[in-house]
Amino acid sequence: MIWQLDFCVLTLIVICAFATIMVKDLLSAAIIFGAYSFLMCLLWTEMGAVDVAFTEASVGAGVSTVLFFAAVYQTTRRVGVRKSGRMLSKAFALVAALLTGLVLVIAEADFPGFGDIFTPASLHVSPYYITQTLHDTNVPNMVTSVLADYRGFDTMFETAVIFTAGLAVIAILRRFKKEDRCDLPEPYVISAGYPDTIIRFVARQLVPFIQLFALYVVAHGHHSPGGGFQGGVILGASFILLAISYDFKVVLGIMSERWNVLLGNIGVLIYAGIGFLCLLLGANFLDYSMLSKILPATDKIMARSHGMLGIEIGVAIAVMAIVISIYLNIVSHGKYDKGL
Amino acid sequence: MHALIADYNYWIYILLMMIGLYAMLAKNNLVKKVIGMSIFQTAIIVFYVSIGAKEHASIPIIAHGSGHGAVEAAIDVAHYANPLPHVLMLTAIVVSVGTLGVALAICLGIHRRYNSLEEDEIQEQLQ
Repeated sequence: MIWQLDFCVLTLIVICAFATIMVKDLLSAAIIFGAYSFLMCLLWTEMGAVDVAFTEASVGAGVSTVLFFAAVYQTTRRVGVRKSGRMLSKAFALVAALLTGLVLVIAEADFPGFGDIFTPASLHVSPYYITQTLHDTNVPNMVTSVLADYRGFDTMFETAVIFTAGLAVIAILRRFKKEDRCDLPEPYVISAGYPDTIIRFVARQLVPFIQLFALYVVAHGHHSPGGGFQGGVILGASFILLAISYDFKVVLGIMSERWNVLLGNIGVLIYAGIGFLCLLLGANFLDYSMLSKILPATDKIMARSHGMLGIEIGVAIAVMAIVISIYLNIVSHGKYDKGL
Repeated sequence: MHALIADYNYWIYILLMMIGLYAMLAKNNLVKKVIGMSIFQTAIIVFYVSIGAKEHASIPIIAHGSGHGAVEAAIDVAHYANPLPHVLMLTAIVVSVGTLGVALAICLGIHRRYNSLEEDEIQEQLQ
């Protein structure tokens, strides 16, 4: 850790955090929040959390910003001023925030030292993960092996949470029948929306490479930062890029709503299915070592590595479908007729 | 003074948490509240990752030669950052985009009904 770099990044982070909540325009707030996420990403790389940084870059800075744009497009970028009780609410919020801060500052005395090797978090299971991952699973990226193998249950339900979030967005926004679609104000026009040849051409040429990169991230997650979550989000982002540069309908032509929901299901099902397969082969749920019985030419250690790849693929499919689904629903206000 | 500098990550995490909480409570605009929530989430992620950080440690990927089982050297625990908080926070970030999507969907639903994202204007229409 280089503390000078840390200081610079942290200062910028705080400035961005202040700016994003103070600025009087939602579009600007979204952009500053994107910058905030990228700075976070730098901070995490600097602290050695490369997988977290990768996820933040693709999710926080990429997809979150686009979701904010989509929401602003369908609503308004105006930020009004509270008419009455303005000072009261501000004072209340300030007192609450300061009290929370005070409690945390008092608690800070008991926190483990920053950068300490002997923090409680690094003493119990963590040394086992670090020393045994290569021996147990032949996967050098510990984050992947902990994510997909040692704590596979946890990740399975995280994937289920993503899936549920996708379903919730559909349940809240989607309007199927004509009469349900109460009259909406016209979407807020961010740009004139004329077909820009250069942007379209560049986007069209970029999309295959982005998708190839996403597949690489999924497949190479065992040896480098990356994995199912990051790869899935990048795959989804490639479709969102198409939607933004062309039209929302282009993406619907490739990935229809039916396919999206189906792929979300299939992704979670692949994950759970591999778990049940292990159960059928006589091992515990998500204990991939038993997969060596059915996989050709693999010992128990490699079977765990391959099992992880299987569930990472499931995660990638589910995350991709859900990210696209959330974007399409928000940007078209659940009507799937027009959008960014 | 030394404690102040040594634990700067914790101070920033507390500050970010306060900013997020303040935005969630004080801001009139619903999307601003959602941004506040996201800042709050990242504050907690900063805290977790800071706990996992180790002085002079490398990234949690074991350097290895080519080929199957090429690593023989003993692995020093102090040499690698703690992977456990990284895993927990990685999934937390992905879940945060899910919660963000749901939150924005609710904002859109509110806007569809009340044609406003301002808290006080919605309150007025509700009464």
